[in-house]
Amino acid sequence: MKKLIICSIGILFFIVGTTFTVVASEEEEPFDAKEAIFEHLLDNYGWEVPFSHSTRIPLPVIIRDNEGSWHVFSSKKLEHGSNYNGFYIASEGDNKGKIESLDADGNKYRPLDISITKNVFALLIAALVVCICIFPLARFYRRNRFKAPRKGLGAIEYVIDMVYSDVIRPILGAEARRFAPYLLTLFFFILAINILGMIVVFPGGANLSGNISITLVLALCTFLVVNFMGTKHYWKDLFWPEVPMWMKCPVPIMPVIEVFGAITKPVALMIRLFANMLGGHLIVLVLISLIFIFGTMGAAVLAGTTVLSVLFSVFMNLLHFLICFIQAYVFTMLSALFISLARVKGEKEIKE
Amino acid sequence: MELFKPEFGLVFWMFFVFVVLFAILAKYAWPFIIRNIDERAEFIDKGVAYSQEAKMQLDHATENAQALLADAHKQQMEILREAAQMKSQIVEEAKKAASEEAKKVMDAAAVSIEQARKESEQQFRNEVSAFALQIAEKLMRKELSNDKTQLEMIDKLLNDIETKN
Repeated sequence: MKKLIICSIGILFFIVGTTFTVVASEEEEPFDAKEAIFEHLLDNYGWEVPFSHSTRIPLPVIIRDNEGSWHVFSSKKLEHGSNYNGFYIASEGDNKGKIESLDADGNKYRPLDISITKNVFALLIAALVVCICIFPLARFYRRNRFKAPRKGLGAIEYVIDMVYSDVIRPILGAEARRFAPYLLTLFFFILAINILGMIVVFPGGANLSGNISITLVLALCTFLVVNFMGTKHYWKDLFWPEVPMWMKCPVPIMPVIEVFGAITKPVALMIRLFANMLGGHLIVLVLISLIFIFGTMGAAVLAGTTVLSVLFSVFMNLLHFLICFIQAYVFTMLSALFISLARVKGEKEIKE
Repeated sequence: MELFKPEFGLVFWMFFVFVVLFAILAKYAWPFIIRNIDERAEFIDKGVAYSQEAKMQLDHATENAQALLADAHKQQMEILREAAQMKSQIVEEAKKAASEEAKKVMDAAAVSIEQARKESEQQFRNEVSAFALQIAEKLMRKELSNDKTQLEMIDKLLNDIETKN
């Protein structure tokens, strides 16, 4: 109980503290809420360090220009609008915040950019965190059969068992073992990126699951698994469903609806995770920005908004923490459901 | 808006990281973990079923033991009853045999007593007759000490013989 209280106080301080680092990092010039918020939500070439808005951890930039040659250099060389070998970070236009270059005719273009940005680096950290959580457990099991792990490993095993026994097995039944590796990887990876996104300082702080590229890939993976693992009945139901002939023969109404449904399923997955996580980050950022917006109206207003904003953002952060877990759970559950729907068996096979 | 535009570099890296992570975990971690979770669950289920069965058997065993005990008790009672019966029978038979024996002994005793009595009577008679003869002899000698009485006697005896014939 005492440990629990200390822990929760620690978490509270941490959340309050990290929200204050956001506060502390905004110091100069008239405050532009929109820019500040989007700077925190979007990707960067460097990784901001707490308490200093200008110092960033440099990350490697990997780009290919339109002549086909590759350039690898540190993102430090592009800081503060400086130009390196003709590459610079666009400050306006369609490619704002991305690396741009000028071709031979002097036109702006975007080189092929596979830089290790803040988000990519955060992805690697998340993958590492997942490995650090899972591998000790696997090693434990390889050494002790029929034994239950204790303490930290026990907690991880509990989460795995919860996902496996409560979600995967009831939905997929006999095929649970076959699809469990994919679904469990999905769950733990989403959980890791969600929770790392909540930590504002260095190892976290990247808005990963609130980025459409990430959720796009996750949804695409589920889409690929669902369709590659689909049985012939799944494909038959997709293009030749058992409905009255007039609904599918001259004008393929039902097949169109079915195919559309097959595509909207992963899209819904993508949008759900993206919107939920983005929303959580956005609310906290807006609440903190309120302090600066009202800050110009005098000390009393500033104090009042600070207290209120911090209280609200702590509350929202706690809520967001719950959502982090729920979204990982929901994504896994729906993926399992879609896979099970694609593994339909014909009536004959069921009878057998 | 930039927020809703997928970024190629990020998509590429995300795909790469996710697939690599999946491949590593699917090869080296998940199979062991899942197998163990499944096997352990099965093991525990089996253990519970086994213990339940054992408990049931134990319950049955007490029941059986009680039945056995009751049976044994009944048998014991029967045996005791039989034993009692047998005892009384034996006693009865023994009594009967004893009385028969006693009767036989008594009979034998009676017979021997009778014999002894007869013998002693015989002896007594012989002795008495011997005494009587002696007495008679003595009397005769005294009586017959004179001739007159002797003659009288002879006459009398002769008369007797004559009347007899």
